Amino acid sequence: MKVGSSLPTLPAAGLIPLLALLCVIVHLIGNLLVEGALTEALVYMVMVVGLSVFVGNSGIISFGHVSFALIGAYASAWQTCCPGLRGVFMPGLPEIILDTNVPVIPAALIAALLAAVVAAVSGVAIARLDAVAASIALLSLLFVVKTIYENWTSITAGQGSLAGLPLYVSLWTALAWAAVAIVVAQFYMISAHGLRLRATREDYAAARAVGISPWRERLIALVISAFLFAIGGILFGHYLGTLAVSIYWLDMTFLTLAMLVVGGKRSLTGAVVGTLAISAVRELLRALERGFDFGGASVQIPQGTQEVVLALALLLVLIFRPQGIVGDYELGVSLPR
Amino acid sequence: MLLEVESLEVRYGTVPAVRDVSFHVETGEIVCFIGANGAGKSTTMLAVAGVLHPARGDIQFDSRSIVGLAPEQVAALGIGLVPEGRRIFGRLTVRENLVVASGLRGGMAAQKQTLDVIFNLFPILRERYDGRAGNLSGGEQQQLAIARALLTKPRLLIMDEPSLGLAPKFVDLVYETFVRLRNSGVTLLLVEQSMRRALSLADRIYFFQSGQVVLHGKAAELAGRSDLEHLYLGGAAAR
Amino acid sequence: MNGIQLMVDALSLGSQYALVALGIGLVFGIMRMINFAHGDLMMLGAYALVVPTVADVAPPLVGKWPAGAMIVAITAFVACAGILTERFAFRPLRHREADGATLLISSFAVSYLLQSVVLLVHTGRPKSVSIFAELTRQMEIGGVRVALVDVVTIGVTALLLLAMVVFLRRVRWGVEIRAASEDFTMARILGVRADAVIALAFAIAGGLAGILSLLYVAKTGVLDFRMGVPLAVAGFVGTVVGGMGSLIGAVLGGLFLGVASSLLQALLPEALRPGRDAFLYSLVIVVLLVRPQGLFAPRETGERT
Repeated sequence: MKVGSSLPTLPAAGLIPLLALLCVIVHLIGNLLVEGALTEALVYMVMVVGLSVFVGNSGIISFGHVSFALIGAYASAWQTCCPGLRGVFMPGLPEIILDTNVPVIPAALIAALLAAVVAAVSGVAIARLDAVAASIALLSLLFVVKTIYENWTSITAGQGSLAGLPLYVSLWTALAWAAVAIVVAQFYMISAHGLRLRATREDYAAARAVGISPWRERLIALVISAFLFAIGGILFGHYLGTLAVSIYWLDMTFLTLAMLVVGGKRSLTGAVVGTLAISAVRELLRALERGFDFGGASVQIPQGTQEVVLALALLLVLIFRPQGIVGDYELGVSLPR
Repeated sequence: MLLEVESLEVRYGTVPAVRDVSFHVETGEIVCFIGANGAGKSTTMLAVAGVLHPARGDIQFDSRSIVGLAPEQVAALGIGLVPEGRRIFGRLTVRENLVVASGLRGGMAAQKQTLDVIFNLFPILRERYDGRAGNLSGGEQQQLAIARALLTKPRLLIMDEPSLGLAPKFVDLVYETFVRLRNSGVTLLLVEQSMRRALSLADRIYFFQSGQVVLHGKAAELAGRSDLEHLYLGGAAAR
Repeated sequence: MNGIQLMVDALSLGSQYALVALGIGLVFGIMRMINFAHGDLMMLGAYALVVPTVADVAPPLVGKWPAGAMIVAITAFVACAGILTERFAFRPLRHREADGATLLISSFAVSYLLQSVVLLVHTGRPKSVSIFAELTRQMEIGGVRVALVDVVTIGVTALLLLAMVVFLRRVRWGVEIRAASEDFTMARILGVRADAVIALAFAIAGGLAGILSLLYVAKTGVLDFRMGVPLAVAGFVGTVVGGMGSLIGAVLGGLFLGVASSLLQALLPEALRPGRDAFLYSLVIVVLLVRPQGLFAPRETGERT
């Protein structure tokens, strides 16, 4: 039974040094805007790599992962945000949470763990469904989580914004977490679990016939994937410094999905490449929207062109190159057989 | 030659279900495919009808290549298919099933003659006209399936296991219908499980095994061979 | 709140959701794709009522035409928009034998595209528009005052559903749509043209979205590039819960969702109300697990599916 042309390689061995190199170059150039753009791209990369752990290995599209980012971001905020004022914004939180300030890294891990638990509980049900139904169920999960968070104002500041999150996401922090995500994704991919899940993607009936449990493998992948995606969501919140439920909704869903699909939804390299490519295009369009002088003439495109271009780009890739930029390819060092 | 197929190869994913199959059907003939389950007969039928696209080979209908055409285009050219399992629209009424099929050649109003023929052949369809097609018995559904195919005015009618799951009295009725159809100018290509029936009905026979044609010839000649059952159960063809 | 007022409110919302679910169900039945862009078609229809402009206030365009012309124009406009999305996004994918996952993503992309284009042209600021001002009046039923626009919504929906039933049973194209929904390949073998029947489904779904946009704008008077999303969500939930493979199921699902949502809003104690939506959305997962064909789908009888 064919499992895929992408094994066995260790893509992290190639991707991480390249990303590190990119960061060094950008840092040395010294342009704050570009550095900010790369930081944001790396934060998204954590999410997209997390997304690919589930989508890439199982073949099931998830529209619901942003719910994990939402859960993680707020859970991190509960532990780290606005000391002293926390009770003002979110009076419904238990005393112990209001009074405790957790250092940012443990806070992130605990928060992502909460998201992973939610993934595990809902995954027990969702992993049983067939591919289309699972995608629909995951989207519904996003609706459910969003509605709960929007309405439970005593612990989330509802539809308003929550400001005052510690801003600890520098270029290097983002790079470090991106590297961690890539390593985790890679080790899952080459593990027996990853292999088995990909088997169900290639030939569901045959996989079951040899004793693979699609339900268990999907559940495991979903939990790992949710954890990583949540980390990305947490980093996003601490990069912006503010949180709002509306940030973790359809725009982010579309963007992360576009990054994955344009890069190549079947491979880890695809997730990384797609994130960088889409981020680069976004930055370029943002610059054009801001406008600049070019040889005496002022060049500016209307606000909002960015989203139109992105949507068209995704559609064109889906029609003309559905396998994405890299297809099945994985960068990296080959493992000896 | 009405239908000519050459070196056909059809794959499911990477697995070839049909390899290097060639056959032809002359106008006015009845040709039968026989062979065990999984031998590739149905796959070949589906490829001719445009439902499956071959990886290799050519299919010529009326000297015109039809490989790559959509099923509705193949139907418009004059090939009708009654697939395995009948596949009637169970949630629609008998009438509605016929209405769908009538669209290709101008609708129910334009097909009064064909409808008369159909009700003559299969009076049960007139009785159950407004009843849910899913409530018909297997034999009645088969009649409806054939009636639908007839409404598309096919020059070549392909039928996949028309007698499967039918009570004997229906099988006889259906086979009588085939003879009548041939007499009225419709060329028939059948897949048949029962060797006896195939030999008694067909002009020529193709014997399928593991995705290939291992034997073919006039029914009259093949009927005399003593090794047919041996072949059917998977033995090798004697040259 | 009085019982009659409650019923009218509930049925009005249920009608809106039923129309959306019908549009989604029509396309899903044949293509097995949930069209996330359906709600945005309704949004397009609403924005067609005003002049395209980035200004804060948009003067009415089609919105100031006489009622009959406006209804025809908007319905036709959205039907065309639907056909165009099919022609340029979904048909190329279909011809390249795209799988279900790709179709799903693409409908999401089309939805995002439509929203982005309107955002670009009109900016994100909500705009107001007034049509059918007479409908904002109230009328009396059984001694109780109810909004006329709600009654009209219910009435129009009932008429549209009746028209759909007649079309799907008595007109050959309608029968072809039902056949294609049940067994698309078999319909094609019988000569039904895939491109034509799908385009027709999109056209009808678009027309329904157009009429819904008029009803919606008549009631709320507000334009926002995101206005299609809650309706699409409701239509999506209604279709899945009611029955994805069956048009009746989808319509009943939408109706059920709207009525349940309204009733829960009115009858639940204050504290539990926020949980209402979360509860209703989670029904999707429950239904998919327990009764995937939907709560209201007719039982399949007959020898073979």
